[in-house]
Formats: sequence, C-alpha cells, structure tokens
Amino acid sequence: MIMRSFTAAWNRFFFAEQSPTPIALFRIAYGTSVIATLWLLHPDWLAWYGTHAWTSLPTMQALEPGRRLNLFTVIPQSDPWINRLFWVFLVSAILLTVGFLTRINSAIVFLCLTSIQQRNLFITHGGDTFLRLAGFFLIFAPAGAALSVDRLIRIWRGKQGTFLRPRSPWAQRMIQIQLALLYFASFCWKLKGPAWLQGTALFYIYHLDGLKRFPVPAWLLHPTMLKVGSWSAIALEFSLGVLIWVKDLRYILLALGLLFHLSLEYSLNIPMFQWDILSAYILFVDPADITRAWERLRGCASGKNGKPLASVQV
Amino acid sequence: MKKQTYWNRVQLDRVKRVAINLFLGFHIVFMACWCLPLDSQWLTLSRNFVRPYFVWAGLFQSWNTFAPTPWSANSYLEAIVVYQDGSRQIWSFPRMEQLGLSERYFKERYRKFSENLQNDKNDALWPDVARYIARANSTAANPAKTIILIQVSSVIVPSSEGSYRPEPWDQHVLYGYGVKREDLQ
Repeated sequence: MIMRSFTAAWNRFFFAEQSPTPIALFRIAYGTSVIATLWLLHPDWLAWYGTHAWTSLPTMQALEPGRRLNLFTVIPQSDPWINRLFWVFLVSAILLTVGFLTRINSAIVFLCLTSIQQRNLFITHGGDTFLRLAGFFLIFAPAGAALSVDRLIRIWRGKQGTFLRPRSPWAQRMIQIQLALLYFASFCWKLKGPAWLQGTALFYIYHLDGLKRFPVPAWLLHPTMLKVGSWSAIALEFSLGVLIWVKDLRYILLALGLLFHLSLEYSLNIPMFQWDILSAYILFVDPADITRAWERLRGCASGKNGKPLASVQV
Repeated sequence: MKKQTYWNRVQLDRVKRVAINLFLGFHIVFMACWCLPLDSQWLTLSRNFVRPYFVWAGLFQSWNTFAPTPWSANSYLEAIVVYQDGSRQIWSFPRMEQLGLSERYFKERYRKFSENLQNDKNDALWPDVARYIARANSTAANPAKTIILIQVSSVIVPSSEGSYRPEPWDQHVLYGYGVKREDLQ
C-alpha cells in the first residue's frame, strides 16, 4: 500500500505533464547568467586558462586527479585555440538563451562550463557549481519547447500549432531538487560550526574587507542583529531546503529567499552567485500562475495600446 | 503491421520510463550522499563508489561557503620580486577593497584564488603562481631572479561589547622561488 502510494506520488511529481514555460524561463535566466559570467571573465580568459595561466594544466591535473570531461585536455594547448573555445562557448550560451538548437547548445554550454571549471577549480564559487549542475540536467529538459526560436521555427514550418503541448518535467524537478539540496547541505554545514550556533558568524563575514560591497547601516552590525541574522540564515536555509516542497509555504519562502539573496548581493562582493541561484527560483512557480501573470500583462498592455499582444501561447 | 508498431512504441516507452527512473533514483541518492556533511561509513563508501562518475561528469559539489567556520582574518597576498640587478619591488594581488565597484565584479576571481592560495593544502599551486608573477614583472634587460610570496593578515576579534577594532597586520612568508630562464619564456 505504502509502496503503491509512493510510486503514484513519484510518477505524479516527475512525470505528470505540465507547461514547459517555467523551464523555458529558467533557460533564459540560466543562459543570461552564463553569458554574464563569461563577460566578467573575459579580460582574464588567458590569465586563468591560457598556456601561461596562473595555474598550469599539469598542476591542475596533479592536484585534482582522475578522468574528467575537460575540453582543455583535448584541444591544442595554444592561446588562439583557447580563445576560440571561449568564443564558441559564448556564442553557444547566446543561442541557448534565445532557444535556437536548444538541446545541442545546452550540451555545448554544459561541456564548456564544466571544462573551464575543471581547468581551474580554485577560482570557482558556489554559483558556478550550481550553474554546472543545473546545466547537466538542463540538457535533458524540454527547454526549447516554449519562448524559443526553435518553437517559432516549428510553428512557421507548420510542425506545431500555437497550442503549447505539456511535457514531462522530470529534468526540471532534478534542478529543483539540486537547489533544495544546496540549501539543505549549507544548513547542515552551518550546524557543524560553533560560530553559526553562537550567532557570531556574520560578525566575521561582515568584517572581511575583501567581501564588502555597499555600506551596511551600523545598527545592522550590532551584535544582537548579527546574531539574529546568523540564526535567520540557518533557519531560512533549512526552510528553502525542506519546507519549499510544501505548496502552501512555497511563495512565502521564495519571497524570503529573494530578499535574502538581494541583501547579500547588496552587501557582499560575490559577483553572480546570487543571480545564479535566483535563476532557478522560477522553476518553483506554478505554470498556471505564470500564465495568469502573462495574461494580466497582456491585459495591461492591450488596455494601454488598444490592441492585444501576440496570441501565441508562451 | 500497424498494431505491431503500436506495441513496439509502448515497449519503447516502458523501457525509456524505466531508464529515466533509474537515472533519477541514482542521481538523487548519490548527489545527497555526496554533499551532505554527515559522518557515516555507508556515506563514505557510497561517495567512493560514485566518485569516478561524479568527477568525470562534473557532478561533484560542496556547499560549505562560510561554513562550518567563516574566515576570521582579513588577509591578502603580496610578492617580493627580486631582480637580477639586485633591485626589488612589491607586487600585490588585486585587493577588492582597493578597487572600484565595476572592477570588483571583474576581478573577484582574484579574491577567491588568493583565498585558496593561502591554504597550505594548495601549496602545489605556489610554483606556478611564482612563475606567473615573474613573467608579469620581468623585462628582457632586468629579469626577475627570485619571487617571495607573502601572506599579510590581521585577525578579526570582536571586542567585549561586540564592536570591531582592526588588529595589527602580520606578515608570513609562504614560499620562495628561484626563477629559471625557461620560466620567463
């Protein structure tokens, strides 16, 4: 009986067909994050990954042994080739974002992303890791089924109507599980640290000169507030890891998570980390709510201009 | 004929569904085993079992930013570059607190790299770093002869009432490297 209800719940969760709009929106946010990461890295492509980089390929292989998906071990070790790899990566990320040859480009983006991280693991942060993991599952998702050039081409060729066919969301669920796991693992790590349990952790973090971005009001740096902040971070990470699966709590937690990441974006200098993580929040939004929001937007726009927006389903 | 094609499709869908379920179950279980910081023999065994695949496919992950213990010192790296003619200069890694807002976005990787370099566990990186600094600071007329990597740090200590007063800076030699001619090519 238990087994049967588990199987039914499993099938509903992973295979009950739904609109591909959330995964398509995620594809756009994900692609934008990858493009921004590459753009920020651009001045130092060769400094980090070139033939005379800060860490050489043999050193990296000695420090992190094992067979790895890494294009740097395949392409000729010359700076022009390494530059070419980055341009291919960038073009592919742009094509993924607009949804052209989506499946192929998601595979290329994942391969390039994992390669640059394997080439130098000492400059990556959690946001990069999340992009890599989400990129792996994105390959299997129907990410080009909506809001994409691929879809427009299919409609134009008459292979598809304007109706958006629901798809099985198992790959999307894996990205959601990965995000929840990220929060839950962070929560577990923090429980192992006395500074977090005593509530002094944020005191150290907010006094690290290299991490400061914009000034934080003095009252927020008061020991009591820092204690409340440290414990709230632990509680929120637990909630975003576990309680996010409770439907009634989901939007409240997403709003709190958004606030949490935006406050970190304001105060700490960890470029792209918050945006990389926030990009996956869209996957937790009910497709029906996205449709409702879209309809409302259309209503507003048509109200203003006197004519409706495109009638193709997103 | 038509019936056979239908049954072939049903069979194929069934096989596909089983394969996807195995893929899902495998990844959920082992991703959790990999990244949850629980001490158990079973977890260690499972991590070892899955390591070759996770390392190859890029599925390894660790979510211990600022945990279990956040950094409790401000620190940065400097290098003393000693030249062939006996002169010397101090070269410093880009320090975020000395950069403008947009520069910090572009150069943040240096903060991360510098943080990792200060960990003795990563001492195998030091020769490469010394060579890079030598190349960046040499001229044909006056090449670098020696590179000395120095860690400069100041511990963060909360005062009794919880406020922060910067502590004096300490210097600690991490590594010295004698530059060879081939390092500069």
